Amino acid sequence: MSAPPEPNGSRAAVGPVLPGAADGEAEPALSGATVAAGPSAETSPPPEAAGALVASDHLSKWYGQVIGLNDVSVVVPHGITGLLGPNGAGKSTFMKLMTGQLKPSKGTVQVLGEPVWNNPAVFARLGFCPEQDAFYDRMTGREWVTALVRLNGYSEGQAAEAARRALETVDLLDAADRKIGGYSKGMRQRVKLAQALAHDPELLVLDEPLGGMDPIARRKTIRLVREWARQGRSVIVSSHILHEIESMTQNILLINNGRILAEGNVHQIRELIDEHPHTVQILAENPRALARQFLAFDDLLSLKFEEDAVVAQTARPDAFYRRLTELAASGEAGEVREVTSPDDNLQAVFQYLVK
Amino acid sequence: MAHDRAEAAVETGAGAQLAGTAGAGATSAGGQGAPAPAGPRTTSFGVASLRVLDLSLGQMLWSRRTVFLALVVGAPVALAVLFRVLDAMGLGVTRVGSRTVSGSTVFGLFIWLLYVRFIVPVLGVFYGTSLIADEVEDRTITYLFTRPIPRGAVLAGKYLAYLVATAFVVLPSVMLVYFLMVPASALAATFPSLVTDLALLAIGLAAYGAVFAWIGAQLKYPLLIGLVFAFGWEQAVMLVPGYLRRFTVAYYLQGLVPHAMPQDSTLSFLQSVLRDVPPTLTCLVALAVITAGFLFLAAKTVERREYVLEQ
Amino acid sequence: MPIHDQSYRHYGGQREPLGRAWLVIVGDGVRTIMRKRAFIGLLLFAWLPFVVRAVQVYLAANYPQMSMLALKADTYREDLEKQGFFVFFITIWVGAGLIANDRRANALQIYLSKPLARAEYIAGKLGILMVFQIMVTWVPSMLLLLLQTLFAGSFDFVSKNLFIIPAITIFSFVQVLAASFTMLALSSLSKSSRFVAILYAGIVFFTQALYGIVYGVTRDSSFSWISFLANLEEVGRLVFRAKMHYDTPWAVSLLAILAIVGVSIVVLERRVRGVEVVK
Repeated sequence: MSAPPEPNGSRAAVGPVLPGAADGEAEPALSGATVAAGPSAETSPPPEAAGALVASDHLSKWYGQVIGLNDVSVVVPHGITGLLGPNGAGKSTFMKLMTGQLKPSKGTVQVLGEPVWNNPAVFARLGFCPEQDAFYDRMTGREWVTALVRLNGYSEGQAAEAARRALETVDLLDAADRKIGGYSKGMRQRVKLAQALAHDPELLVLDEPLGGMDPIARRKTIRLVREWARQGRSVIVSSHILHEIESMTQNILLINNGRILAEGNVHQIRELIDEHPHTVQILAENPRALARQFLAFDDLLSLKFEEDAVVAQTARPDAFYRRLTELAASGEAGEVREVTSPDDNLQAVFQYLVK
Repeated sequence: MAHDRAEAAVETGAGAQLAGTAGAGATSAGGQGAPAPAGPRTTSFGVASLRVLDLSLGQMLWSRRTVFLALVVGAPVALAVLFRVLDAMGLGVTRVGSRTVSGSTVFGLFIWLLYVRFIVPVLGVFYGTSLIADEVEDRTITYLFTRPIPRGAVLAGKYLAYLVATAFVVLPSVMLVYFLMVPASALAATFPSLVTDLALLAIGLAAYGAVFAWIGAQLKYPLLIGLVFAFGWEQAVMLVPGYLRRFTVAYYLQGLVPHAMPQDSTLSFLQSVLRDVPPTLTCLVALAVITAGFLFLAAKTVERREYVLEQ
Repeated sequence: MPIHDQSYRHYGGQREPLGRAWLVIVGDGVRTIMRKRAFIGLLLFAWLPFVVRAVQVYLAANYPQMSMLALKADTYREDLEKQGFFVFFITIWVGAGLIANDRRANALQIYLSKPLARAEYIAGKLGILMVFQIMVTWVPSMLLLLLQTLFAGSFDFVSKNLFIIPAITIFSFVQVLAASFTMLALSSLSKSSRFVAILYAGIVFFTQALYGIVYGVTRDSSFSWISFLANLEEVGRLVFRAKMHYDTPWAVSLLAILAIVGVSIVVLERRVRGVEVVK
């Protein structure tokens, strides 16, 4: 069900990316690629991956018993791509794999057509802004960025100039000669961004770049990312906040529990989530009286009775919850003791999407 | 948002071309339009190491470790000053009854007991085991490992920074102690042994640093293992005649010391009795092999190993 | 009628009285350390000398021709001195990160926002360290004494050396207290457990080396108070009524140890705080 990306970067219908998709649907093209015998074995990238920004093939990573990333086969095209998922979903793991910080336990990942593990050459074209708030606090912003850019092979003069430009780009030139230890949180995020883009990489990988920023700094960073992409470069940015990603790009990879749940246009995914029938379980004093009231709701799709509870499926959860609250407040249908939504999560959305 | 994205092609290392479409913005937020100058794709191992050295040296010198380093190398100087002051006051610490301990002998004691047996191994353990571990603990290693330089060069650069930082602090301390303890009349005669001492301490720092760099890169609990090696294994094995002592740095380093070995304790006495001194050339070659070999192993380990940072 | 989220309920169980929280810190700390197999290996290794001695005691008690292997009171002193090697490594392993890791994780504020006094926090941390140190000093020595009594079938040895039980206890606890307080104070000074470990190793070996130089120059062992290890050795000889090794009066050695403990307490009092007030 996965549609190939269109040349201008927007995508068609969303589809799940899972091996062995239900109902005999054709598996995504990437899953047909040969999986390497071991993490270090060389594999030729699948045809779709040629020219792709990032191409992973059955990429998995586990830490002991904990699976960080589970069989991810995805092709990230040029442009801005948002990596969206809740905390612990595997976003950082995926980013660390694509920036060579971690070695795949299984499968492969290629960035800009090259394998990334133990391949420092790729970092001439890649800039990474990690999530952690860690710096050489005793250095000034300018010194730090210059020193790091020098490691990209720039001469001293070139590195100083590149650092100056980068600091100017992130609006940090005024504070460039202050020690990083004295920077605010927003300034620290920006100097991190500066070191990532100072050497003018083709691809910027930003791991939660807006974390801890105030609204003004947030807007500036979002604007910077969009400008950067407008100049022909590519960005992969991760966040757990949908509207942050939406303000930067329409292309997202939705990740949860180490798996890619959906990839494509964020509006289409959102519509599908909204169309997905929501299940609500209500523990009540008089479930049947409550059920009689629900029957009047036009968005009600189904009703089921469990011990002391009624389980309703609704097409419009917002409206349903509003009416339920009114019912509970008025006490018409008796006391409402507990309201839960057993499937209010991305996994349930995904399962619905593959049915 | 496809309309926002320009169709600019980016050439590797050539710098970005500006978006040509109207309204796309020829400048980045607050920035100038011209692209940054390009550098080569990768840097050679040697150049990369030197640049990492540049970056790390300041960090190493101006950190909390400076306090430790200052105490460690300042104490012998303070002690030497105290001896001189007491001697000058006629309290004669170096003259006990009819026995006089010469300044050169005292200096030799300093070299043996403080520098060779303690300061050099401890600095090697402390800095060597934490070359990469410190950056991992501080979570700054990411910035170094996402540069187009071999990971081994990061280790090599940090090792060079350690060598420069410690030599820069330790060797002047030795010279100060020398000038404080050795009387002016004996300076000319003993100067060659000072030069030997300085050289052997530098070699010791290099060798121990390399060994502990590998221990730090390869093993769990490197600090404990390092302390066991330096103050357990090396001490114990020097008491055992035979080939086992060849598996220490101390055997070769102590072979280069120009001063007589002190007999301040039972352990030292036994060690001096059981001592066999290999030829100087053997010592130098062995120490060079140890340094180069362990550094190579450490670099290879760092290249292969995965560093999972604590969140 | 509001709808309440019923997923959380107030704790309705029994609460311990105030003042016992330090036991929780000890229990939790000990359990955490004991999860490391390498550390258990170190503990087992530290008990090897006991095993050797136990065999020696058995042979001496059961085979008259091996009676020369019988333990003397001074043997216990020597053994406790040698166990100092393991005390050193256990102190570094367990102790270096005790407060340093909490400072690093900004956990001191969390600890001290509970009904937990600073003294309890320090007592808890000390307790963790002392449990393991006592495990390799007092416990094997007392067990060996018990074995010796059992194998001999009489209390002769103990009755002839009545001081031995208090001597083992005092010497063990002097070692343990000196090492624990020093390490804990150092741990409160830094956020890096590695730095703390090397500082501690520095104090132990550096003072030894300094004394070595002073002795080498002056040939006078009354300067042994400079050395941390020498002071402990002298106190051990004192309580075991053995001949002193150095010319330093025992009171000076004891005073030096008390001074280290005192300074450590002052450092701990100043450093263990929920907030740091920067003036």
